[in-house]
Amino acid sequence: MSTFEAVQSILVDEFKLSPERLRPEATLTDLGIDSLDLVDLIFKIEDRFGLKITDDVPRSLATLGDVAAYIDVLLENQSTGGGIQAGTDRSS
Amino acid sequence: MTARVAVTGLGVVAPLGNSTDELFASLQAGKSGVRVLPAPCSGPTGSSIGATVETPACPRIPETRLRMLDRVSYLALVAAIQAVEDSGIDFNQENRERCGVSVGTGMGGAATTDEGYHILYAERSDRIKPFTVIAAMTNAAAAWIGLEYALTGPNLTYSTACSSSAVSVGEAAEKIRAGRADVMIAGGAEAPLTPGVLRAWSAMRTLASADKVDPSASCRPFSMTRSGLVLGEGAAFLVLESWEHAIQRGVKIHAALSGYGLTTDVAHITRPTVIGQASAMRAALQAAGYSPTDINYINAHGTATLQNDAVETSAIKEVFGPRAYQIPVSSTKSMHGHLLGAAGALELVICVGCLERGWIPPTMHLDQPDPACDLDYVAGAARGDIPLRIALSNSFAFGGTNAVLIVEKV
Repeated sequence: MSTFEAVQSILVDEFKLSPERLRPEATLTDLGIDSLDLVDLIFKIEDRFGLKITDDVPRSLATLGDVAAYIDVLLENQSTGGGIQAGTDRSS
Repeated sequence: MTARVAVTGLGVVAPLGNSTDELFASLQAGKSGVRVLPAPCSGPTGSSIGATVETPACPRIPETRLRMLDRVSYLALVAAIQAVEDSGIDFNQENRERCGVSVGTGMGGAATTDEGYHILYAERSDRIKPFTVIAAMTNAAAAWIGLEYALTGPNLTYSTACSSSAVSVGEAAEKIRAGRADVMIAGGAEAPLTPGVLRAWSAMRTLASADKVDPSASCRPFSMTRSGLVLGEGAAFLVLESWEHAIQRGVKIHAALSGYGLTTDVAHITRPTVIGQASAMRAALQAAGYSPTDINYINAHGTATLQNDAVETSAIKEVFGPRAYQIPVSSTKSMHGHLLGAAGALELVICVGCLERGWIPPTMHLDQPDPACDLDYVAGAARGDIPLRIALSNSFAFGGTNAVLIVEKV
């Protein structure tokens, strides 16, 4: 499953959004994902990808494609030991 | 309270049914909504009992919103939507600044609070859900109802423990009487059946022990064998309107809300007093312009705690004198349990429905009356064929807030 598909499935399963709306160019605003939803989404992304995101989420994330690309960067940094803490345990 | 306020809509999500029709069928049959709770409320350390709601579906509430709602807000929204639909009101035709919401709840989003503590202390994680504050805040239910209908008038939440929704309904009526609003969606909601809340109540030694033979018969108001209250969940709402407004809309008026009495016990944080309860009943009678002889039915607070039932019996005698013995008094908590912040509104809805239907619900599980409780408690079976024009509903609370509401048949 690609990163984008994983984000898509979170939004369908947890946020009850209909799959056909979840295209890469769909904006968070159009999908009704506000700042609180985004925090919730980040939690679920952390669980799904075994990430711990300690930095503030950039405000430039506008579309679902942006969100997937952001996660890919984090995953890349994690594998190269970059500045993001990684862990699969919620209590880490 | 001189001007009558019209009750034009009723909605309930209760242990005895998720509509007024279901509720009244259960009350008439003397059914109980009390049962042994599943895990995690019951566990290896013992079983808990409670009066539960079969969670109703509500297509009007979008699925995307459910993540933000504690159970208390969901139950409140469903009951409020029912009441609004029953009233037939179309808020598009109303000045929304003249329409408001008034909710009573004791514990607010208790399940969300409990879950947050679990994540923090049991899972040792710092990842409390981002919706925790808005789901747990005591005024969430009122806020969601206001948002649902875009009502820009007063949006208020009252939290006076077990009298919360008697107060929310009474105060909403006062807003209308004072000319500050035309329409108020008023009621209460409670969802206390979480391990944390149950254990806290249990620690106070106020909860009934489960009847070993029949757990559904564990709540026994006015009985010699009563052992405490049974917590229940649910919500009940009424649409209240100024009399003129209801007449102008040409809708069915279920009843007139004619009296509201509010006094406070100051003897002790939890112990009720005869004088406090009696003064609230007197204040309601006076506000409505009734004499004690006008009352045909009393829906008692009747929690089935040792203290309350004896004190309430004495208070009724104090107010009504020898006639107290001729007034049917019942505690429907024997069937639907104690809905705490939703109790007053539910019991008022029951009073309104009884006036419309012409019968009185029973006090169940009262086989062995306590000699200290010697009124006519309508034991064991509903009663019809009696003159029924005016009903009084008692709600008393930890913290001392005594609230009494009176409704009259139209």
